[in-house]
Amino acid sequence: MIPVLHTEKLCKSFSNGGTQQHVIKNLDLEIMEGDFTIIMGASGSGKSTLLYALSGMDKPTLGKVFFGDTEIQNYSNDQLAVFRRSNCGFVFQSIYLIENQTVLDNVLTGAFVVQKNSPELIMKVKELLNKVGLDEKMQNKYPNQLSGGEAQRVGIVRAVVNEPKILFADEPTGSLNSASGKDVLNIFTQVHENGQSIVMVTHDIKTALRGTRVIYLRDGSIVGEHRMPKYGEDDIKVRREKLTEFLDRMGW
Amino acid sequence: MKIFRLSLFNLKKNKREAAAIIFLTLITSFLMSVFFVSITEINKAFDKCFEETGCADVMLLYDESKYRDIYREVLEDEYNVTEVRESTVLVGSAAKTISKQGESIAYNMVFTDESTERKIEDFVKLKALSDDETEKLSHPIWLPQYFEITGEFSAGDTFTLVSGGREYPFTIAGFYNTGFCNSDRTLFKCVLTDYDMSLLSAVYEEHRMIAFDTEEKISFEEYFEKCSEISGEYVSGIVYPFDKESEREEEATFLNIFLYMSAFISVVTMISALFLILHKISKDIEQQMVQIGVLEALGYTSRELSLSYTCEYVLTGGIGAVIGGIAAAFFSPVMDSLTRGMINRDVHTDVNILRIIIVVAAIIALVTFFALSRAARVKKIPPVVAFRKGIKTHHFDRNIFPLEKLKKSINMRLAFKGIVHDLRSNIGMGMCIITAGIAVMFGVYLFDFFKNGHDGLLSVMGMEMPDISIMTMNGVDTEAFCEELRQMPDVEKVLLNCALGDHVEVKGSPQSPAAIVYKDFSLTENIHVKEGRFPEYENEIMITVKRERTEDRHIGDSIIVKSNVGEKSYIITGITNAMNNSGWSVYMTDEGYKRIRPNDHPNIIEITLKNENDRPAFEEKLTALYGASAQDMAAEQSVQGSLEERVKAKADEKMAQLISQYDVTGADYAIRIGDTMISGNSSRFVIKEMSSMKDLARSQMESIAKVTKTISFWAVIFIAVVVAVILGIIAASAVKRQRKELGIMKSMGYTSRDLMVQLTLRILTVTIISSAIAAVLSIQVQRAFWMALFGVNIPEKPVLIIGTAAALVMFCLTVTYISAGRIRKISVTELMAE
Repeated sequence: MIPVLHTEKLCKSFSNGGTQQHVIKNLDLEIMEGDFTIIMGASGSGKSTLLYALSGMDKPTLGKVFFGDTEIQNYSNDQLAVFRRSNCGFVFQSIYLIENQTVLDNVLTGAFVVQKNSPELIMKVKELLNKVGLDEKMQNKYPNQLSGGEAQRVGIVRAVVNEPKILFADEPTGSLNSASGKDVLNIFTQVHENGQSIVMVTHDIKTALRGTRVIYLRDGSIVGEHRMPKYGEDDIKVRREKLTEFLDRMGW
Repeated sequence: MKIFRLSLFNLKKNKREAAAIIFLTLITSFLMSVFFVSITEINKAFDKCFEETGCADVMLLYDESKYRDIYREVLEDEYNVTEVRESTVLVGSAAKTISKQGESIAYNMVFTDESTERKIEDFVKLKALSDDETEKLSHPIWLPQYFEITGEFSAGDTFTLVSGGREYPFTIAGFYNTGFCNSDRTLFKCVLTDYDMSLLSAVYEEHRMIAFDTEEKISFEEYFEKCSEISGEYVSGIVYPFDKESEREEEATFLNIFLYMSAFISVVTMISALFLILHKISKDIEQQMVQIGVLEALGYTSRELSLSYTCEYVLTGGIGAVIGGIAAAFFSPVMDSLTRGMINRDVHTDVNILRIIIVVAAIIALVTFFALSRAARVKKIPPVVAFRKGIKTHHFDRNIFPLEKLKKSINMRLAFKGIVHDLRSNIGMGMCIITAGIAVMFGVYLFDFFKNGHDGLLSVMGMEMPDISIMTMNGVDTEAFCEELRQMPDVEKVLLNCALGDHVEVKGSPQSPAAIVYKDFSLTENIHVKEGRFPEYENEIMITVKRERTEDRHIGDSIIVKSNVGEKSYIITGITNAMNNSGWSVYMTDEGYKRIRPNDHPNIIEITLKNENDRPAFEEKLTALYGASAQDMAAEQSVQGSLEERVKAKADEKMAQLISQYDVTGADYAIRIGDTMISGNSSRFVIKEMSSMKDLARSQMESIAKVTKTISFWAVIFIAVVVAVILGIIAASAVKRQRKELGIMKSMGYTSRDLMVQLTLRILTVTIISSAIAAVLSIQVQRAFWMALFGVNIPEKPVLIIGTAAALVMFCLTVTYISAGRIRKISVTELMAE
């Protein structure tokens, strides 16, 4: 497999009251094309920090981040924004829809930053929304009129509408009830099946089961990695046992 | 206490906004206090200053040759006047003098001797040479206080009068405090020795001075009409009337412009402060909705919460208003000094603390009222609604500007969505920009009008401004003389003015106009038709815009003009802009004028030179060719030279006296001395008087032009700062309020620049609409200003209006774009970590 993203000696430190806090330490990581990578670890292990550094949301303190052959760690904030718009999609735990825009407009705000308006694009967006269960009526609603699960589905469509090279998700089911969470995970699985590379941070084993690769972070370093077949290609029981065993080993 | 604590907490969070509100209310309070204190106190101070001179209540200066004793009798018989005093003074209309810098400048001047001066007032001397020094002066002169205050002259300096080619140097013995005649827009009264008065009596026109006291205000119009009825003379045309009210009004023109502009700016700052307060409270409530819910859940009542918002702004507004009020109180000496410079009198105003307190209290009350009305919105938000971030976020409205219909730029479309979303706030901001825009544009128009000194005013004078005006001797063939002058190489144009400011009467109008009469108006340069056409035939007339508006007379209407000889009807053919004669002049042809004044012969020749700078040389040339002014010659005292030269000079002097004082039209002489016969005639005496209207206009208008230009410049700068503060805060608060939304957009790949452009475009629409409205309204304000103050209609300059509006838009955009720069500081990762 070809790495779509890789890092070399990636470090990220924060200054906290005059004390340097090293959150990511000399981390080397490859994200393969078509992989569904899950990042797990205890609270404060640096999962989210790693996700931001990988996605160009934040700049590393030291080390390199390669997107394909392109180094992005030295980009300015605006260059990173331009880079993100066509290469990355984001799904947040807090969803972050724009409150004064309808569902359709929320998705189109993301789409129009890259693509020009066309009947085909509108059609595509509407189809995507329909696929995640948001019909025409729902598309004209505002975020406050949606349930958490519905809102997160909008968030996913907004993230994938520009067909990013990698879809980043930061605990996307963290704020949802189990039924809504399941729906959302099904969508992620579906998206992955279509060949989308995904990097997701989670605390939840059920969510992690959807991945093909689980990396475990402790004190800013990768301490373990677990590979799995695509979701649905193996027995779910066995899959869960193996993952649980891996996580136990990691001290989860 | 709880409320106060909550307010302090909010204040600490919004330091920048608090500082802006303090600044705006401070300026409002300061300017408004200065306005309300000065507008009355300065009148009082003027009256006090006037009383100190011991001046008569009224002074009338009649043309001596047309004065009748009956005029005094009417006063004494029909009006309740006391202490009537009578004497003779000299009046120099557009009398030429030489400034300290050696430039020629003209003033309207009155000359009196000390005994006459003491009949008018107490002759209170101010800065002066010692008695011994004054004693030694051969030609001492006492000037009114104006010349000392303007710094034009000091005691001991030379003050030179010029008439024709001759200079009359005087030494300034000192300055004195005068009630009347201390303004460059009326006359200046100078006190001379008896000897100098007799010397100048051959140069300037004698006038009969009647001064008196009266308990009641005399209506000059009514009095002149009574005199006219009795004497058959058109009296208002032969007299200069003075009373305290008109003097005050005349001298306080600058000051009133200054004060009313200050008041207007304070209104702008007050509106801006109120808008900012309303905007901030709305946004604070919106932003702190969940916090409001939490506090309500903790037991705070919605009344307490709304009072906490109100208290915050009453506190900031109050601090600003109080500091502004205190500053205004301490500003009093500065204001006295400014006033001194503007009305040219030593005034001392008292600080009217009560008025300042009222202003401060009114500002606090306004702030409280507006803050309270907006903060009352908290009452509509019960905790449950607050937790759900208010009703407003539950949209059930139509989706305006749907992205689905996007045509071109996503940034523009998102900006439009933002405008609709924040409509109420944008309307408020628009109102603010409109008010500030009117002030800015009006300031720019004024600055532009006065940018070349008094040239702007000259352009709307509605009368010709020739380089040289010549009054010819009686009997001179003026047409032939004009033709002769036209042949001279330095001369560009020669016009025969058929009635220089002679007054007539318009039937049914209380305003007696000066008649401006030319044979062919198309040859004039400074008289412009605004509507219709110039009068061409004897029964046609052109009136001013002021008369058109005030008396509702229009082109095609008939108008009856009266003189002491008779009355005739004229048809109005045109409307013109004219500031002269307070905007009441009438314009007619020489033939038309003859219908009501058949015996008048035109004797004013107006010369425009090819090069204005050649004037002194050309005047010398005229003197050499056509004789010195007969009045000057009559005042000549001694001539050096041979016997024949001295005899000729003496003979010329004698003829000049006959011509200038007894209206002799021609004289010949022959004197035999031994075998020699010396003979000559008066054909050299063509010129009776030579003056320059331009010099007079400069002395009367240059200062008003300078003051207005400076005030308007600083007013524009100041309002621009206010606009910058407001927009800066609005942009900053928009960024703060939409931090989350902007962070989301950034995560999607919108650059900081994209977001700054969106925010700026939002302001752009509001600014363009507001600037357009401000441009239209500012034209109306400008028209009203000029009409009220000078009775003219200044032609609008579309390029200037559009340019100023565009500059305002650009300025607003630049300020917003720069203020929106804090978008760059928004970190997406911080947002996600929240």
